[in-house]
Amino acid sequence: MSTWLKLVLRLERAIGGPVEAAVHSDAYFDVVAELNRGTRRLTDAVESVSKRGLHLLNLPAGTDVRRMREQLARMDRRLLRIAKELEQLEHARDAEPV
Amino acid sequence: MTVALQLSPADLLARVNRDVERSYLRARNGIRYVRGSNRPKLGTTPKDVVWKRDKAQLWRYRSDGVRFAQPLLIVTSLVSRSYILDLLPGSSAVEFLRDRGFDVFMLDWGIPDELDADNSLETYVDEHLPRAVAAVRRETGCEELTMAGYCLGGVLAVLYANGHEDTGVRNLVLMATPVDFDEMGPMVAALRDGRLDPDDLVDETGNVPADVLYSGFFMLAPTTIVAQRATLLEHLWNDEFVRGFQAMAQWTRDQVPFPGAAFRQVVELFVRRNALMEASLRVGGREIDFTRTRATVLNAMAENDTVVPRAAAAPIGALVGRPDRRDELLLRGGHVTFGTGRSAFRHSLPSLASWIAAHSDERGS
Repeated sequence: MSTWLKLVLRLERAIGGPVEAAVHSDAYFDVVAELNRGTRRLTDAVESVSKRGLHLLNLPAGTDVRRMREQLARMDRRLLRIAKELEQLEHARDAEPV
Repeated sequence: MTVALQLSPADLLARVNRDVERSYLRARNGIRYVRGSNRPKLGTTPKDVVWKRDKAQLWRYRSDGVRFAQPLLIVTSLVSRSYILDLLPGSSAVEFLRDRGFDVFMLDWGIPDELDADNSLETYVDEHLPRAVAAVRRETGCEELTMAGYCLGGVLAVLYANGHEDTGVRNLVLMATPVDFDEMGPMVAALRDGRLDPDDLVDETGNVPADVLYSGFFMLAPTTIVAQRATLLEHLWNDEFVRGFQAMAQWTRDQVPFPGAAFRQVVELFVRRNALMEASLRVGGREIDFTRTRATVLNAMAENDTVVPRAAAAPIGALVGRPDRRDELLLRGGHVTFGTGRSAFRHSLPSLASWIAAHSDERGS
């Protein structure tokens, strides 16, 4: 192993050790959770304002598109479930003695 | 300088030649790496799809040299791509096991999308796994099999093997299977009570995006990427090294979305209640007792696993199966020692293969 690589690896460990200790600590995860909540609250507030503006212009907002995508996905899943139930019923009918 | 003076002119010339050649190879491989061309093809061991349902596929690896009567069914994890177990020709767990005489099947869960957001543990344990096992039995004509679950796939294998009548599981191999989630450390720390809610991580498709899972793995050791890149630079002249590096880098980055319903169950049951430690779990409206299986159980753990630490995997050895049918194997290496790396082919896979062979019948015997 060349000297420069040894140096880089040693340096990485010297920095990496404390960094890992920090990002594995309870405090870090508490901060991440709080930041996540904060970001969500902020996003909701901004989206609510922009939604109102866009709706005034009779335009769909990002949240509308998201909701529609969610509804479509739910419908797709429901169709899939129905198809599976149908398949099970057919299976059960085929298995019944004639 | 002293070293150079000790070398004969011929040796010196050879060394200069070697360095010039390596510089050329470094430049060539460096350009290829940056350009993203010449990426190795992954998961190429010849196979056939013998069953599929939704995104799940059951692959059977082609072999002319099957020695053992019981097929080997590998159940992969839900959170990463299955090709870690079939990374590159010559560096593939599947290829290794096939060449040792096993009839290898692999159950790949595919890449979930919005259609799979309602997939729960029941979907995998009660819907897919029984059908996949039936397909293995149909294909091989053998009623018994060895089921090997990797990572979260091990948990699914435990639930299947104990949650059904006539499972056909003769041997249950659990590879890096987490059971004590209190010991999972930073992997799940953000999801503990009072921190992130599972729904905070679910996107509009109803799944946890692959990037979120990647971030979780990345944050286990955020600076090692520097060491990895430096090591790559040092070995950039070595085609074999670059090939292996690219393959691993691709797998590491290639996470898949986690179906929302299953994710909520994992967080609630495994992370927050640590319910797997009770040796039973309520799935699909019934209580699954982990000691119900008649299979011989092997708990295979990796010494330096940072994804599923040894402390998180070890207790499963005392929770699953009958006390007189439990074995344990402690392997060198980390989480991927079951699939790739030098120690995989020198120690881990030979040990696993020997154990499975010892618990299987030779064909025709």
